[in-house]
Amino acid sequence: MGDFQPRSQPALRRRRQLIQRLFLIGSVSLLLLVLIFPSWRATILPVVSLGLLSSTEDLQLQTVRYYDLSAVQGTADGWEKEERVLMCTPLRDASSHLPMFFSHLRNLTYPHHLIDLAFLVSDSKDNTLEMLSSMLGELQADSDPHMPFGEISVIHKDFGQKVTQDVESRHGFAAQAGRRKLMAQARNWLLSATLRPTHSWVYWRDADVETAPFTIIEDLMRHDKDVIVPNVWRPLPDWLGGEQPYDLNSWQESETALALAETLDEDAVIVEGYAEYATWRPHLAYLRDPYGDPDMEMELDGVGGVSILAKAKVFRAGVHFPAFSFEKHAETEAFGKMAKRMGFSVVGLPHYTIWHLYEPSVDDLRHMEEMEQERKAREKEEKEQAERSERVNTLFQDAKTESEIDNAFVRDDMETKGKEQKASEDSKKPEAESVEEMKADKSSKAPEQEEQKAPEPLKNKNLKDAEEVSAVKPAKE
Amino acid sequence: MAVARPMRRTSPITFFLAAFLAFGFLFFLLSPSSSATTAGDTSQQRREDAADHPLSPPTKPFLKSQPVRNDGLKAPPPVVHYDLNKLTTTSDSADKGERVLILTPLARFYPEFWDNLVHLDYPHELISLGFIIPNTKEGSAALSALESAISKTQNGPIPSRFASISILRQDFEPPLQSQDEKERHKLENQKARRESMSRARNSLLFTTLGPATSWVLWLDADIIETPATLIQDLTGHNYPVIVPNCYQRYYNNDHKQMEVRPYDFNSWIDSSNAQSLAESMGPDEILLEGYAEMPTYRTLMAYLADIESPNPRRVIELDGVGGTALMVKADVHRDGAMFPAFPFYHLVETEGFAKMAKRLGYQVFGLPDYFVYHYNE
Repeated sequence: MGDFQPRSQPALRRRRQLIQRLFLIGSVSLLLLVLIFPSWRATILPVVSLGLLSSTEDLQLQTVRYYDLSAVQGTADGWEKEERVLMCTPLRDASSHLPMFFSHLRNLTYPHHLIDLAFLVSDSKDNTLEMLSSMLGELQADSDPHMPFGEISVIHKDFGQKVTQDVESRHGFAAQAGRRKLMAQARNWLLSATLRPTHSWVYWRDADVETAPFTIIEDLMRHDKDVIVPNVWRPLPDWLGGEQPYDLNSWQESETALALAETLDEDAVIVEGYAEYATWRPHLAYLRDPYGDPDMEMELDGVGGVSILAKAKVFRAGVHFPAFSFEKHAETEAFGKMAKRMGFSVVGLPHYTIWHLYEPSVDDLRHMEEMEQERKAREKEEKEQAERSERVNTLFQDAKTESEIDNAFVRDDMETKGKEQKASEDSKKPEAESVEEMKADKSSKAPEQEEQKAPEPLKNKNLKDAEEVSAVKPAKE
Repeated sequence: MAVARPMRRTSPITFFLAAFLAFGFLFFLLSPSSSATTAGDTSQQRREDAADHPLSPPTKPFLKSQPVRNDGLKAPPPVVHYDLNKLTTTSDSADKGERVLILTPLARFYPEFWDNLVHLDYPHELISLGFIIPNTKEGSAALSALESAISKTQNGPIPSRFASISILRQDFEPPLQSQDEKERHKLENQKARRESMSRARNSLLFTTLGPATSWVLWLDADIIETPATLIQDLTGHNYPVIVPNCYQRYYNNDHKQMEVRPYDFNSWIDSSNAQSLAESMGPDEILLEGYAEMPTYRTLMAYLADIESPNPRRVIELDGVGGTALMVKADVHRDGAMFPAFPFYHLVETEGFAKMAKRLGYQVFGLPDYFVYHYNE
C-alpha cells in the first residue's frame, strides 16, 4: 500500500495541473473575449451566471397589448360609454387657420381625454409646423384638467405636391383629378399611421371651418350611422349673394352620372361642380333649408371631406380614400362609394350646417380692390367737398345777423314739424326693430360677411368672375 | 502536515472558487457600463424606442411607469412627432434599422409556427408582431396557447424578445365555423370565407401599422418552416410587393418518403382566358383559382418552381398574390392598398390586393424558387 500511493500521485497531480491550467486559460480567455466583444456579454453572462442575473434585466417595458375589437363598435351615445374618437386633420400651409381651429378644439364638448388628435403636415412652406407644435404643447399643459386631449400625433410627410394651395389653382378643373388623388394619399397616410385598435369613431375635420356647433361630434354620433356628414356652406360678401353652398362632394348617385361613368376610361375621375361633367345629381348642399329640421337625414353615395364622422370599423374593414379612380371617383367621393360597396350606411344632414371659411378668389380680390379704390376716391371727394364748404362758411361769416334771423324762422318751423313726426314714428317703431334683428341674425352666422361688406353694393356684379359660382352653375340649371 | 500542504495547493475547488470570485469581481466592476453598451446594446435601444404613454402606436412598447403632474394627476399624453419622410425601405433593411411588422390572422396555434418565428434572425428589436384571432371557441384556445408562447419569449433572453406584440380579437363572426380543409375549400364557401378573411386582415393592418413600420410581412399561422433569413431575403429585392412560393411537405406513400408539393395557388400571372371570363361575370361574382368550374389558364407560380436546381433569387412579375407569406412595403398599404372584402375587378383578398397595388402604380413580384412550407393537416 505504501508502494502504491506515491507512484500514483505524480500522475494524478499532473492531470490535476493540466485541468487547472486549462480552466485558467479558459476563464481568462473568456474574460478577455467578453471585454473585447461587449456584444457577447448578452449571450455569455446568462449562461455563466446560470440565469441568476437575467431576473434583474427587466426593461420596465410593456411589450404586449391586447385589444377586443367588439368593444369598439361605436354607438349612438359614445361619450357616455367612453368611446374613443380619432380626430384627423390634414394641414398644408395652414398657419393662418390654426388659431381659429384651436379655438374650435378647445370648445368641443365631447370629453377631450377621449379624443386622440392626428395631424398630417405636408409640403408646408409657412410655419404651420412650429405653430402647431407650440399650440398643441399649450393645449396639453393647460391647467384645466378637462382641456388636454388624448394621444397626439403629428405626422410629417411631404408628397411633393406641385399644386399650390390657393383657391384658384385648388379649384381649377384640369388640376382636380391629380389633386384629389394626392389628397387621398395624404388622408390614407394620416389614418393608417394613427388609427388604433382603441378607436370607436374617426372624425375628419378640415382646419378651415369657420363656424361649427361645439357639440358637432355628439350631434353626428347620435344618428348612429356608419358614415355621416353635415351640410357645408360658406358665407360670402353681400355683393356675391351673402352665402353659398361650399361642399358639392356630398351627393346621391344619378342615372346620368352612372351612364357618364360608363363612357369614361378606367383612370378618369368625375369631379362634381364643373360644367365638364354634368351629372344631375341631387346635392346635399342645395337641399338646405335654414329653418329645416337639423336631424333630417339623406342617403348619400359620395361625401365631402370637410367634416366626416365615421365609425372606426368602416376604416378597419378597409374602406379608405382611393388614390386611384374607384368607380370613376377619387378621395372622399370614392370613400363614400367604397363604404356603400361594403354595405355601410352613408348619410348627410341637409339642414345641419357648418360654415367653411370664405377665402376670396383672385377675381374676388381684384374686385374688392377696385371697390376699395372707389371707396377711397369717394372719401377723398367727400373730404374735399367738406373742406370746400368750410371755406365757404368762413368766407361768409359776416352775414351772421342775416342768417340768424333766417335761422329763427327755420327753428320755429322745425319744432312744429318735429312734433308731428314723433307721433307718426311711434307707430312705425316695432317694424323697424324686427328688421334690425334679422340683420343681426344673419351677421352672426357669417361674421366675415360684415368685414368684407362693400360700402356700396355693386350693381353690375359679374357672377362669372367668381369661378366658384360658375362651377356651381351646371348643377343648378 | 506534509499531506495537507499539497492538498491545499492543488485543490481544484479552491481554484475554481478563486477564478469564480475574480470573474464575479470583474463582472460587477464592469456591469455599470455594461448596461449602457452591451447586454445592453439592445435594451438601451429598446428603452429609447419605447413610447412614454400607453396611448401610443401598438408597434411600440411603452414605459410601465407613468409621469405625474405637479398637481398629482396623471400627466396628459405628450405631443409626439413622427417624421415619415425619414422612413426608408431599402435592400439592406437590417443595417438601416428598418422596422418590420409581421401580421398573422390566427385561428389555430402551431408551436412550430412560433418556433420558426423566434428563429428568424432579423434583429428582434426591429420586429413587431400583430395577431387577429376570431371570437370563437377555437380562437380562445389558440389565444391561450399564443399567450403562453409569448410570455416565454418576452421574458426570455433580451435579444430574442420582440419589440412589441399586439393581439386583436375579431369583432365579427367568421362565416364558417369549420376550419376543416375540405369544407374550407368548397367553391361556394370560398367567397364568404375570403371576404371575411379580408376584413380580418384589414382590421389587423390598419390598427397596428403605426408610423414607424417600413415593411409588413404577412405570415399565415400555418407557415411552419421558412429560412431564418426570410425577412432579409425578401426585403433584399427591394420590391413593393414580393411573395415566395408556398409549398407543403408530405409523406408520399408511393415513394415511401417525405416529398414536397405546391400549396398556395393564388400567386399567378394573368391570362386572356381569365380576363374574358371576368368580363362575362356579374359585378358581385369573383374569379377563383384551382376550381374546375372556372378554367382560368393563368400561369401559376406554384408550378414554375425549379425543384431540381432552384435559384432562390429568381424573380418573376405577377398579377395576383397569395397571402401565406407576403412582404409588402408599408408605403403600399399607406397609399391605400388593402385586401378588398368585395369583388374588386372580380378579385378578393390577396389577389384583389395585388390588383389594387397595381392600380396605385406599384409592381408585384414573386420568387418561384424561394420556398416556405405550409403545415400539413
